Amino acid sequence: MAGSRTSATEVLGRGHPWLSLAPALCVIAVLFGGGLVLGLAGSFAERGGGWSLDAWAQVLSEGRVWRSLGLSLWIAGASTALSCGIGLGAALLLRRSFPGQGLARLLFQINLTIPHAVGALGILWLLSQSGFLARLVAGAGGIDTPADFPPLTQDRFAIGIIAHYVWKEVPFVGLILLANMQSLGDDPESAARTLGAGPFAAMRLVLLPLLMPALVRAGAIVFAFAFGAWEVPVLLGQSSPAALPVLAWQRFTSPDLAARPEAMALAMLIALVSALLIRAAFTARR
Amino acid sequence: MKTVIGGIGGALVLAAGMAPFAATAQDGEALLAMEWDEIVEAARGGEVNVFMWGGADNINAYVSDYIGGLLADEYGITLNRVPLTDTAEAVNIVLGEVEAGAAEGAVDMIWINGENFRTMKQGDLAWCGYVEKLPNAELVDFDNPAIANDFGTPVEGCEVPWSRVQFAFAHDTARTEEPPRTIPDLLDWARANPGRFTYPAPPDFTGAAFVRHVFIHAAGGPETLIGPFDQAKFDEVAVKAWDILNDLEPSLWREGRTYPTSITQLQQMFANREVDLFFTYDPAEVGTAVVNGIFPETAMSYGLEDGTLANTNYMVIPVNSPNKAAAMVLQNLLLSGEAQLEKAQPDVWGAATVIEPDRASDEVQAGFAALERHPSVVAIEELGQAALPELQADWTQAIEDGWIENVGN
Repeated sequence: MAGSRTSATEVLGRGHPWLSLAPALCVIAVLFGGGLVLGLAGSFAERGGGWSLDAWAQVLSEGRVWRSLGLSLWIAGASTALSCGIGLGAALLLRRSFPGQGLARLLFQINLTIPHAVGALGILWLLSQSGFLARLVAGAGGIDTPADFPPLTQDRFAIGIIAHYVWKEVPFVGLILLANMQSLGDDPESAARTLGAGPFAAMRLVLLPLLMPALVRAGAIVFAFAFGAWEVPVLLGQSSPAALPVLAWQRFTSPDLAARPEAMALAMLIALVSALLIRAAFTARR
Repeated sequence: MKTVIGGIGGALVLAAGMAPFAATAQDGEALLAMEWDEIVEAARGGEVNVFMWGGADNINAYVSDYIGGLLADEYGITLNRVPLTDTAEAVNIVLGEVEAGAAEGAVDMIWINGENFRTMKQGDLAWCGYVEKLPNAELVDFDNPAIANDFGTPVEGCEVPWSRVQFAFAHDTARTEEPPRTIPDLLDWARANPGRFTYPAPPDFTGAAFVRHVFIHAAGGPETLIGPFDQAKFDEVAVKAWDILNDLEPSLWREGRTYPTSITQLQQMFANREVDLFFTYDPAEVGTAVVNGIFPETAMSYGLEDGTLANTNYMVIPVNSPNKAAAMVLQNLLLSGEAQLEKAQPDVWGAATVIEPDRASDEVQAGFAALERHPSVVAIEELGQAALPELQADWTQAIEDGWIENVGN
């Protein structure tokens, strides 16, 4: 048994890379690609069979859809910028050794294990107008009633949603950058220092450019998630405009079957905009 | 379309293999000419196939064990419960059979309401005109508009009511001693108490139902909105309804700039004292929330004097039911005071009855009077004093879309 398993691994391991990749690629092609193709087909489907552009025309002609797109771009853009900035800063601080560094790293990473829906509910308990902070400030006499607390959830600027994504993604960005810095080692910076660069110049001119590819990749993942995810905006977002994924979900669950192709078109729009923007970010890097 | 073609093929094969006979138990015309005793005799020893949503264990047990047991013991009829995830599946079976010309189908009864009933009635798939033959039909008030109309489609003897649900509001007696009890009062109350009222934005189901209450108020009553969708009528009422709701916005939670996105959020806001009124299509939920400690014990549900939306669910016999006599006996049993009382017990199902308890036997009346109800839950009889019929799906969809377009943005 053990022998045959080893030999199978060997065969795959020594084969052409395509052969070794085949199982993983099959899963991606069937599950992910298949779903994407069916979704795209669904956006062109007409009731009772046949094809039409009606759903796309309807979706693209609606003011609501464009407002939702704008909101989703704002949420994803702001979340990505803040997560990358804070994550980078935290990684730079955490890479130096100091007493209690292990504990600090653990605390920094601990929320990676917490699901988004749980985090969003936590934000609601903390920041909403009946939440912990509002009650604390009202109890201290800062405001008359908790309801006078400024709206930080279900608010116009999606502060609650962005706060959740930043809270959740800063450790993610930080972790990727820490791993990256570990593999780079101290050598490039030390070389710059011996050549006369100050610590800040060495960081800015040597370390940051070396970290940039990893930062852009981490940022792309954060952006794609924040742009396409549904559960956080549905819990923390306002009713109108709703984030684009929430709009797609509402159409998908509508009893009106004619709304189904529109839901598919919205989902495809999310994928398309996300892919184009991330592609542009990678191209700009090069 | 595919299912219909498949149904035609299958039914043709079946029809070719069947001897052309019509049993008395199946022949609707013959049954209508019979006395009730004769119908029961014709039904004896038969089978009845009941197609119904099967997602709740307590409902399944009530039908299979309690009703099925009575049916077997008293009439020797076997009840086959066929569980569905979507009632439209059963309607599609009947549609396929009838389009294929199969006089004898597979379905004897469907638990149904709303869209699906409208499909069956419009397609002449429902067997009609037998309801007054059922002795227990006397217990039902068929003049009640909430029973005579199934989501805006007149019932007209084509189905028999089974259970009822009705929309109710809730307040906290410790905070709001006297809550508004009509829609106009509610609007005035919201203006007098800025920031203390809001409703979930449609397409949330409960939020959309609240908007329908305002829409019916704007129309001056439900009468003109009953029946098929009427664009001219809709436009006329919609202008008024959106004006009312837009005028209300500055007095709502957060000046109406945003709305809660779900009824769950409104429930939390009511529990957190952010707003002072709550509403639900399932008043028993208020009692559950008190038991779970989400709402204070002083929370009370109540109805409106100008009525709250109610809808009824029904049992329909398809026109090609193979055993209409047994189906009639089953429907009569379902309507009996004893079976309705059993169904209303909170530990059995807790479903509100469609019969008028004072038309039933003294024992049944006493049973209904003794029903254990959480003190925070309004009695269905009290709610039923003023019930508004639900509107047809085209209306509800247009109202939802119109709200999103004109109020929610």
